[in-house]
Amino acid sequence: MTSQFRLSRRSLLAGASAAALPMGSLHAAGTPFRFGLTLPLSGPQALYGSDQILAAQWAVADINKAGGVVDGRPLDMLVLDTQADPQIGIQMANRVVNAEHLPVFVTAWSAVVKAQAPIANDSKTVALVVGANSPNVAKLGDYVYTTYPLADVDLTALVEYLYQKMGKRRAAVLFVNDETGVAGAQIYRDAFKKIGGTIVASETYDNKATDFTGAILKVRASNPDTIHIQSQVSDTPQIVAQMRQLGLNQLVTSYAAIYNPEFIKALGAAAEGVIVTSLAPDAKDSPKVAAYVARWMKEKGRAPNGLPYTQYLYDTPYLVADVFRAMNKAGMAMTGENFRTAMMKVHSFELPLTGRTNLLATHEVKKPVYLMQVQKGAWVKIATMG
Amino acid sequence: MFEWPVISQILWTSLATTSFYVLFTAAFALVLKVNRFFNFAQGGVMTAAFYTAYAAVQMAHLPGWAAFGLALLVSALLSTIIELFGFATLRAKHASVLFGFIFTLMIAQFVAYTAALLFGTWTVTIFPSMFYPVTLVGGVAVSGWDVPAIGSAIGCLTVLFGFLRFAPWGQSMLAVADNPDLAGLYGIKTKWAYLMAMLIAGALVTVGMFLYGSRAQVQPMTSFDLMLFAVVATILGGIGSIGGAAVAAVMLGLVQNASILVIPSQWQGFLVYAVLFVAIVFFPRGVRLPERRARADATRQAPSNTSEQEG
Repeated sequence: MTSQFRLSRRSLLAGASAAALPMGSLHAAGTPFRFGLTLPLSGPQALYGSDQILAAQWAVADINKAGGVVDGRPLDMLVLDTQADPQIGIQMANRVVNAEHLPVFVTAWSAVVKAQAPIANDSKTVALVVGANSPNVAKLGDYVYTTYPLADVDLTALVEYLYQKMGKRRAAVLFVNDETGVAGAQIYRDAFKKIGGTIVASETYDNKATDFTGAILKVRASNPDTIHIQSQVSDTPQIVAQMRQLGLNQLVTSYAAIYNPEFIKALGAAAEGVIVTSLAPDAKDSPKVAAYVARWMKEKGRAPNGLPYTQYLYDTPYLVADVFRAMNKAGMAMTGENFRTAMMKVHSFELPLTGRTNLLATHEVKKPVYLMQVQKGAWVKIATMG
Repeated sequence: MFEWPVISQILWTSLATTSFYVLFTAAFALVLKVNRFFNFAQGGVMTAAFYTAYAAVQMAHLPGWAAFGLALLVSALLSTIIELFGFATLRAKHASVLFGFIFTLMIAQFVAYTAALLFGTWTVTIFPSMFYPVTLVGGVAVSGWDVPAIGSAIGCLTVLFGFLRFAPWGQSMLAVADNPDLAGLYGIKTKWAYLMAMLIAGALVTVGMFLYGSRAQVQPMTSFDLMLFAVVATILGGIGSIGGAAVAAVMLGLVQNASILVIPSQWQGFLVYAVLFVAIVFFPRGVRLPERRARADATRQAPSNTSEQEG
């Protein structure tokens, strides 16, 4: 081995230090404000998770490029892969809490959040939930907060639109037998009945199913005006395809996770007319969102998968930075307990891509709901509710 | 729900969706019969065949027939490697059945992880769209996928059974399945028979995955769920009986799909595990009709008599 390739202890330390530098540290310097991000970077949900992580990384870089959180001190985000698996999510939360001693971590996917919640509560570390929409998220404990509106917000708005604007009176629900499906379907059924409609069928299926004929035929036999699908993102195109093939041409609705270009690509003409919810403004509503989408097109050559979710993920580091700024100003130690206190004291955040966000004491968030419909092969906004 | 249009639709769709299950089952049963391995590596061949077809269509923009040809080629190559470098070695070293089982599981996992690294873990289909036009036949919705799928399965099985019954190579494979040492004494090249069984199984699962992947979404671990169905059907059909396994696959598919008429749909997946439990505990030699059981008993009796005479 020649001397130029020999790795000395000093050069190794120097290399390790360089590798550990926070993002954007060329522009911001000083002790970083650190937080964690536990999302799926691999596994079946990686298509969404990796785009969301990238959005958060862009935000951290942008914050640091603009001078950091305060006094040139940068924001530093530790990214950990959960694979959207609750067991792995627990391991990652433990690392954040016990090994890294971070005051706050960002997380998503309802099942993962549910598994991580006891760790956050026991260690008094704030878990900021971004994207998990199960209504149970608001009841997971003192240290679990969401920055993303839960399913009752968008599904209630969707039901109001269907009943009041479209005159739908008979609804059927088809849902996957997991946390997202069961809780979402319950909210939809309750909201539809409360407003005066009738639920004529409610069918669930196993989360490994690939053929939905039986459940669809049960729905067909009930003769609904509209059919709501509360399913996993990957299942929904198959269900809609099989519904259309079995002669169900009724209006199909779903929730915010389905608002993505892959859905239309997989179904083609069969996607026409489908209505879903979105919880973030689109490019036509906001020049900042337009610039954000343009950035995706420029850097990745495509729109992000699950655009609204990535908008929330982009905004979250800004929210975290605002809280760190408040803590720094008040001279508070960087603990989870203090982070929670400062966050609820600020409680109202003006965020770049999703606008004003008010964190409620009930651990919920209220935001406008945008209804998107597939028209001529593209998502088109048909209404803004709330 | 118990109306004829609903029942006939469920029966038709079940028949169409069992097309790929029958092919997976026949392939698994064939290798078990001839090569005498519980070949869970078949899941690896299925994964490799699917992602080859997917890459050919979605990445290289090749037509479907070319993608199918490439998938056949890759599955043949992988099947050959598994037989020549895996099964042949295990056979030569007189490895236990358990060791062979673990080896095949390891191969399937290896291919799945490789596919995950190369193609990611998001679900994909071979063709960009999974929607097929529909024709109503007597109130039953028949999709553009159904008839080619059923036709392909029937065609493949007809060729397989014709080959085993009439072709000298097929008869050699059955001879090796019955008694490899005796077959060797009669001049049959047992190594070729083993390889042939693997290649035929590879071709069957390629057709099956092409059908499955053009209708449903696949991710690297999907083949493990599909394999479970093949194992259950093989046990139900009686280990060593390819025809029995194929019939069991059709029946199991029909029962699983038709069960929606009497049980909630989320229990459909559970049904396969329940049948597997019952099959292993109560029918370890498969479900046999009385006449067939008597014939099988007589056949089993014959060699023992012979050996006694020889002794």
